[in-house]
Amino acid sequence: MHIPDAFIPISQGIVYWIIALVFVALALRWARNELSEDKLPLVAVLAAGIFALQSFNLPVAMGTSGHLVGGALAAIVLGSPFAAIFILTMVLVVQGIMFGDGGITTMGANIINMGVVGGFVGFYSFKGLMKVTKSMAFSVFIAAWLACLIPALACAVEMYLAGTFPLNVGLIAMGLYHAVIGVIEAIVTVAAINLITNVRPDLMDTGARTAAGA
Amino acid sequence: MDNKTFIIAGIIVALLIGAVAVFLASGDPDGLESTALVVQGQKTITGDTPADAEIHEETAGRFSYSSPMPDYSLGESLGSAGGLVAILVGTLLAFLVVLGLAYGLKIAGKPTK
Repeated sequence: MHIPDAFIPISQGIVYWIIALVFVALALRWARNELSEDKLPLVAVLAAGIFALQSFNLPVAMGTSGHLVGGALAAIVLGSPFAAIFILTMVLVVQGIMFGDGGITTMGANIINMGVVGGFVGFYSFKGLMKVTKSMAFSVFIAAWLACLIPALACAVEMYLAGTFPLNVGLIAMGLYHAVIGVIEAIVTVAAINLITNVRPDLMDTGARTAAGA
Repeated sequence: MDNKTFIIAGIIVALLIGAVAVFLASGDPDGLESTALVVQGQKTITGDTPADAEIHEETAGRFSYSSPMPDYSLGESLGSAGGLVAILVGTLLAFLVVLGLAYGLKIAGKPTK
């Protein structure tokens, strides 16, 4: 769901950029204050992994492909939605500048959708589900699915405001495609979190996990 | 697993995913592009994407930028090899940019604590 430059007027792109920068500033502050030094390698490895996963367009039928976003993954592993904003912003900068994947004037909107919306939806739905169900796998699965679907719907609304898509068709098509893509996102996120938990349980920072007896 | 092993293993996994993607990634448009084609009447929501489908892009008054490696490729002539180089560069760059920025913030943040 990387929005190219052609899909949003520059004036609106600037508005999204300003909103995005507020969150990016908060994410930088998070990295400075909350990120412990022993977790820096994990953050960087996650960025590399999320970049690679995002380059993998998987077929989801209906003449459409989709790739993972990774916002829920970053937020859950590092225990903060700002982790998702921090990592996704840098991944989007590399993608936009080096590979033309996502525009420059639209980068703010992409940061808002995948980093901010994805990170917050992923993190807080995980926290809430964890409290209610106590199931790590189930909570991660649903959180990752939502963190793919909700940003897509946000993107559809932005496309409507930009005059690029009509609201109905945009919401239905974006919602349908990303509901399917989200299932893949959910499966891979559960697998990735299982892997990290097994290899380096000390790096996982979910309050819920510690409570579960890590 | 110590930090060094974890970093190396993590980067290898990332590069493997990226390498597989070069060969196996679907050529179909992504969700956003696919929706654009639906809006422009070139495909139905659940139908296949026609081979000649092309998104009409609004360019008047829009910013445009040419990246060094558009679409994770170094051009048709280099094919998959170019794709592999692009993914390698991108994955390592994502790793280094985040690592560098995170370390930079930590160092810059220290005196104030």
